[in-house]
Amino acid sequence: MSSNKKKKEIDSASTIEKLQQEIEQELWDDLTKDVSLTPHLTEEIKKLVKERAREELQKELKDRYAKLKPEKVEIPPEVKKEEERMYSRLSLNIRIQHVILMISTLILIITGLPIKFHDSAWAQFFFSAIGGLQTGRILHRVGAVGLIGIALYHLMFLAFSREGREIFRELLPRPKDLKDLWVMLNYLLGRKREKAKFGKFTYVEKFDYWAVYWGMVVMVGSGLILWFLGIALSIFPKYVADIAREAHSDEALLATLAIIIWHFYNAHLNPEKFPMNRSWLNGKVSEKEMEKEHFLEWVEIQKKEEMVTDKPVEGTVAEQKE
Amino acid sequence: MNVDIKASQMKKSSVFLIFFCFFLFFCLSGGRAQEVASNRECQKCHSNPNLKKNLPDGKVISEYVDFELFYRSVHKKQACVYCHIDATNFPCKNLQKVNCQRCHYKGNLAGAPDINKYKEYSESVHGRALALGDVKAPMCQDCHGSHYIFDKADTLSRTNKENIPQTCGICHLNIYTVYEASVHGEALRKEHILAAPSCIDCHGEHDIKEHTDPKSSVFLTRVSATCAKCHANMELIKKYNIPVEPVETYKESFHGVAIKFGATTVANCTSCHGSHAIFKMDDPRSSIYKDNIPKTCGKCHPGASQNFARGRIHVNPAKKEAGIIYYVSRFFKYLTMTVMLSLIIYIILDLRKKIIVRRKGEE
Repeated sequence: MSSNKKKKEIDSASTIEKLQQEIEQELWDDLTKDVSLTPHLTEEIKKLVKERAREELQKELKDRYAKLKPEKVEIPPEVKKEEERMYSRLSLNIRIQHVILMISTLILIITGLPIKFHDSAWAQFFFSAIGGLQTGRILHRVGAVGLIGIALYHLMFLAFSREGREIFRELLPRPKDLKDLWVMLNYLLGRKREKAKFGKFTYVEKFDYWAVYWGMVVMVGSGLILWFLGIALSIFPKYVADIAREAHSDEALLATLAIIIWHFYNAHLNPEKFPMNRSWLNGKVSEKEMEKEHFLEWVEIQKKEEMVTDKPVEGTVAEQKE
Repeated sequence: MNVDIKASQMKKSSVFLIFFCFFLFFCLSGGRAQEVASNRECQKCHSNPNLKKNLPDGKVISEYVDFELFYRSVHKKQACVYCHIDATNFPCKNLQKVNCQRCHYKGNLAGAPDINKYKEYSESVHGRALALGDVKAPMCQDCHGSHYIFDKADTLSRTNKENIPQTCGICHLNIYTVYEASVHGEALRKEHILAAPSCIDCHGEHDIKEHTDPKSSVFLTRVSATCAKCHANMELIKKYNIPVEPVETYKESFHGVAIKFGATTVANCTSCHGSHAIFKMDDPRSSIYKDNIPKTCGKCHPGASQNFARGRIHVNPAKKEAGIIYYVSRFFKYLTMTVMLSLIIYIILDLRKKIIVRRKGEE
């Protein structure tokens, strides 16, 4: 397409030159034949005529380009799609884990917060809508089973699957994460022009991942004490149950705020991701995003591909990983 | 002229005199004198301390009326026959019980207090029992007295705060003895602390209901509000040195939240503290005494151990007295604040940078 356009451009350029030369020649002939003018004057007239000729030609060129333009818009959509390469980021297993975690957490938040804010009108409305506190408690425990279940499954996944072990290694905090944070803060404050270059997981993602560990330990630990209060109090003194209750209530608020403010910003409200980052559904990221957000991983993938085959074959990497 | 003036003056003074005489007459020998006069007939017999009456069931009741005392009562201006309307002939036999409602109803013109207590009574547990034919059910005079009704501020009154436990105790003897020994009974009856509750402060007076009636002030969902009348009163808490805010902390506890949203198998104040047998927590008789806690909590939490007693019950995490719970609460407060603040600052910086980049790109 582009070559075609270039050819036409070249054609028009050469025609201009030819025309100019012809005009010059004719003018020169005319001027030198009949009229006797001073060389200085002839030069000036020549200049004026040249300029006029150039203007005409440019007008002509513009018209031709205008005729060409509609052709230029007609780019077949298939061509563009082939260009956008998708990288696999989250396996189906991990995506299902995330969905279960999400659903359990939502149930827990929805049935838990009205107990914490029991004085509010919406708490009253909520319990009257679902049919009393007892329903809320049962639902909360359903959510708890989901949460504890997925936590245990995840630990097994990390321990016993190759994928899990690899991902865990990538998720371990490293000094680079602090450096990255420093670089990014400088970038955000306008002190540096360069962004940090991230690997598979940025410090933001690592923070989110490890924050869930902290939340899990606090919420599941205290929650189990409150759930099995009789057993707990046969082992621990009552103040342990009180601590559990306080911690459960306070950490719940922290987790909820973190999800609503931090996670929603990163995954949904962030202008680059709005209305949402779709990789939790399809597990994929575009090449653009890879380059922008996980540059080091991207480079590594390129290198590997070059090592495997001299020619990078499009689309195969994503399939291989799945 | 002079004579005329004198005559008119005479007229004026005589008119004044006549009015003055009427005034005196009303003052000295007005209505009351007449009633007392009618009472005198009754007094002839009923001021005899030995006047008795044999009831058909063999009981002997005194028919003596202490008129000295009667004339200090709130009904001192009333004639006997105003209430004993059937005492028309002598000897007055088989008199009906006095019906107080003849005067005591809303909108009465007899000068009785214009309040609707009679209706409240008829809807109360006592009134309903009476309506169902319970002969033991108390009527007005059983609590207020018959001839010797005084204002409740008067220590002679049966409805005086300090006398109420005894008044109720006439029928509710068992509860009376328990109450007398309890912290409330001792405070009111021995230490004469009028802020301490008598029966009616918790149960209500005329509108008293069974404790199983959801409208009752001691119904399980409402009893905490009843206790709160005093135990959430900061003045009283300070004055009598009650260490924590028991009602507030109860409302925040799981028990309090659960009961609010309709759970009925959850502890209210009386579940742990008892209703009448309430004692201080360092009193071995108390249900919340250290050694009794396993038993008290065990009512709902089977197998409750001594561990239930290790730690405070009414804890307010916002106060230092809560001990370790206070520090846990503090820790989470500052943790939440720092984490959320840093995250929000990061978000703002990120957004700001994105806006700057976008603007530059457009330029």
